[in-house]
Amino acid sequence: MLDLHGYFPFILKGMGLTVAVALLSLLIAIFLGMLGALAKLSSSRTANLIASVYTTLIRGVPDLVLMTIIFFGGQILVNNISDYFGGGYIDVSPFVAGTITIGFIFGAYMAETFRGGIMAVSRGEIEAGYAYGMTAKQVFLRITLPAMVRHALPGFGNNWLVLAKATALVSVIGLHDMVYNATVAGGATREPFTFFFVVALLFLVITGVSDVGLRWADRRFSVGVRRD
Amino acid sequence: MGENNAAIVVEDLHKSFGAIEVLKGISLTANEHDVISILGSSGSGKSTFLRCINLLEIPTSGRVYVHGELIKMVAKRGEMQPADQPQVDRIRSKLSMVFQQFNLWAHMTVLQNVIEAPIHVLKVPKREAIERAEAVLQRVGLLDHKDYYPAHLSGGQQQRAAIARALAMEPELMLFDEPTSALDPELVNEVLRVIRGLAEEGRTMLVVTHEMGFAREVSDKVLFLHQGLVEEQGPPDQVFNNPTSERFRQFLAGDLK
Repeated sequence: MLDLHGYFPFILKGMGLTVAVALLSLLIAIFLGMLGALAKLSSSRTANLIASVYTTLIRGVPDLVLMTIIFFGGQILVNNISDYFGGGYIDVSPFVAGTITIGFIFGAYMAETFRGGIMAVSRGEIEAGYAYGMTAKQVFLRITLPAMVRHALPGFGNNWLVLAKATALVSVIGLHDMVYNATVAGGATREPFTFFFVVALLFLVITGVSDVGLRWADRRFSVGVRRD
Repeated sequence: MGENNAAIVVEDLHKSFGAIEVLKGISLTANEHDVISILGSSGSGKSTFLRCINLLEIPTSGRVYVHGELIKMVAKRGEMQPADQPQVDRIRSKLSMVFQQFNLWAHMTVLQNVIEAPIHVLKVPKREAIERAEAVLQRVGLLDHKDYYPAHLSGGQQQRAAIARALAMEPELMLFDEPTSALDPELVNEVLRVIRGLAEEGRTMLVVTHEMGFAREVSDKVLFLHQGLVEEQGPPDQVFNNPTSERFRQFLAGDLK
């Protein structure tokens, strides 16, 4: 059995933070992703352009580099603004910065996933909505959205798993997540392998639980389509 | 001008897709209780014509009146657009369309498909919408399938469910866009039987179809389109027995491709 020298609760506390960062960034990513997908599919050139710049830029730069740029750049920006208004020094919380950054990064991936999902919805079903007098908003909320979930889920699940693992990056900006705490405990006990092994197992727990949830969602949203 | 007793009046409807003019000026009047069949070979523009009436396609020019009310259009950057989207939504809710590919909402059960638009467009209370839905499902013979998803039904059942969805709107006019063309031959009759029943109870219907026997039997008027123009029209006895147009004669003989 692994001897964690009493550091297990410390690691679990980090895990709680990891899960919190992951779930909150997921919400941001879903929001930005939906916005990005709609912008890319809209007939407005300006919206297309903004969304294309967003997805191209984000998907073209390593997450770690982006995380660092947004965290330190955000820090500088916030303080420049604060200086301008004669305010004092503001410390950007690594939790807020980390969550927003990861949400911002994965919003770009979600945008592509959602765009694919929306494009896969049968044109005829959307047309039927309009033919029965639904407004564009009703067609989107009641037909396109529930119908696209099934098509978007596989890509969404992928993005979520990568996102959950990408939370490990927040340790570089000093957030006390599972990885950060494992580094501390591993250093103190000089047994880094033990602690990172435990972290690996705990990540497997997170992704394993997600898998169950995703499979449930897949069943739920394919209910009219599967033949069994 | 649209006469007030006419369910629908179409005047000089044109539609182009890019440089190709699909409809070259089509007019039609359907009075209350009229069943009008629209025939034509593929590419004649008959489906496009039907889709222009409820604005699934935007006509390039021309006027459509529904019960005397003109659907208002404006030109924006040289393209026609509906001037008043709420008006279009309201008029669409009175014109139920039945599609060739059924277009049932796959993520909803048959019952959910049928109550969807009455609840969310007509604002019918849910309980009443369900009662209404069960009545129309009974009528098309699908009440015992109300909790099935479309994918679990045969093509004929799906089309009957789509007809139930159309009926639940209590439409003033029904538009049928080749309702049996996507069906296996042995399933065509169950759908035609339902449509025939609707014709007999005096519903106003425009039916784009390839079913000659059906058109001849149930229509008050037949319209034959060819290359975007009305080539022949009149009561079925007249047009089928004494066609004046050579093209329609060829079409009936099966030579017109």
